[in-house]
Amino acid sequence: MSYVSVSLPQLLLSLGLMALAIAISSRNHLGLEKDLAVGTLRAAVQLFAVGLLLTIVFRNEHPASVFGVIAVMVVVGGWTAARRIAHGPGTGVLFRYATLAVLVSGVVVLVPVFAFVIRPPRWYEARLLIPISGMILSNAMNGVALVFERVFASVHDDAPAVEQLLSLGATPRQAVERHVRAAMNAALRPTINGLLTVGLVALPGMMTGQIVSGTAPDQAVRYQLVIMYQLVSVAAVAGALAASFARGLSFNDREQLRTFADRRVG
Amino acid sequence: MPALLEAHGLRKTYEGRVLLDDADLRLEGGVITTLSGPSGGGKTTLLRILGQLSEADAGQVLLDGVDVRTLMPRDARRRIALVPQAPAMFPGTVLDNVRTGPRLAGRDLPESTARELIVRAGLDAQFLGQDARALSGGEKLRVAVARALALHPEVWLLDEPTAALDAERADILVRLLRELARDGAPILVVTHDARALGQLGGRHLELSSGRLGAEPVARPA
Repeated sequence: MSYVSVSLPQLLLSLGLMALAIAISSRNHLGLEKDLAVGTLRAAVQLFAVGLLLTIVFRNEHPASVFGVIAVMVVVGGWTAARRIAHGPGTGVLFRYATLAVLVSGVVVLVPVFAFVIRPPRWYEARLLIPISGMILSNAMNGVALVFERVFASVHDDAPAVEQLLSLGATPRQAVERHVRAAMNAALRPTINGLLTVGLVALPGMMTGQIVSGTAPDQAVRYQLVIMYQLVSVAAVAGALAASFARGLSFNDREQLRTFADRRVG
Repeated sequence: MPALLEAHGLRKTYEGRVLLDDADLRLEGGVITTLSGPSGGGKTTLLRILGQLSEADAGQVLLDGVDVRTLMPRDARRRIALVPQAPAMFPGTVLDNVRTGPRLAGRDLPESTARELIVRAGLDAQFLGQDARALSGGEKLRVAVARALALHPEVWLLDEPTAALDAERADILVRLLRELARDGAPILVVTHDARALGQLGGRHLELSSGRLGAEPVARPA
């Protein structure tokens, strides 16, 4: 099988699809024309920029450039997960813990797979390390964000009960056990649902991409399975780390519940 | 030597307001101390600091002569019962709630003991199997008292315990507190309930402008 390439004029033709969406918006007075136009342009600029960056990294494949890109993913992931957390200790503090959780869970899940399962010809092979790390780290980021958001919000809402557990001699771990369990459950649920329905509703993106680019479906399936297992595992590790950090940040050294200023999140 | 809770030089400010200003307190074993004062004046804050749920900005709390900061927080809290004005119930039945304290310490509380405790707190035995979170405010308060009784605390701190109770139930609670005092516990009750104040007897304190005094302190106009 050979790769079917898309020329720029052919790509421009696909803009007709966006024109169709804009026309529908206009005809039905949805008021989305501006967002659609901006989105069309923005998606193109962002993806061409990433494509350019990846082209440069692939051409000058070097451990420093490959791991530089991955490091940026970790930091941006940590920042994104730490933002918009109401009732927490603040983005500045959470950023450090979120980045650590994304980094550690990413290492735990990615290193063994690249060492034993998907073994790149070179250990810093950009075309394998960068896209797979991106998928895994973004799931770690979502897990951390969900756990932070849920633990801080539910402990805040349930503060009287948490404090009465403390009064009855509970350790901080015991006092917020219920909240942490619910948060971790919520963090794992979407990935588990993905695992249960994969292939039934839609073919996953990576598998689709591989098949389109000419990979035999059975190989594409094997890759996809490895990725799915990694996604579940990273959500579990990142969620557990985030839960442990959130619990630690919720109490002071006298095991008293800390109160945080309410932050408006929009 | 009966258990004793002492506080020296407690200071606490919250959002620029001084709630406690060099407050001293001594709760003797076997004595019921009642406390009143203007609302928002720091009574609940004082109970939270004594009950180890909040830190004072300055000052010291001693339990049986020992600085509580040298004790494990959970051990100190088990020895000091803190019953808030509107206690939160944990998910589950009244029995689950009463068993919480012993369970947290890795012990099992027999159902028969739990039943005795809720009756002692003024609740009918039939409440044992009910959903604790569906109870009325007064019933929740009595569950909270039974929950605390299960840990045999040495010191009792209660915030407006009779506010949600009718006269008959309030009398049962007052009798229980007097019983606990007779057994040697120091008890501090925040209350504005004139009837309860009269029945509880003991010593009365006023918290005003951050200070604790035996006499009502004149408030600035």
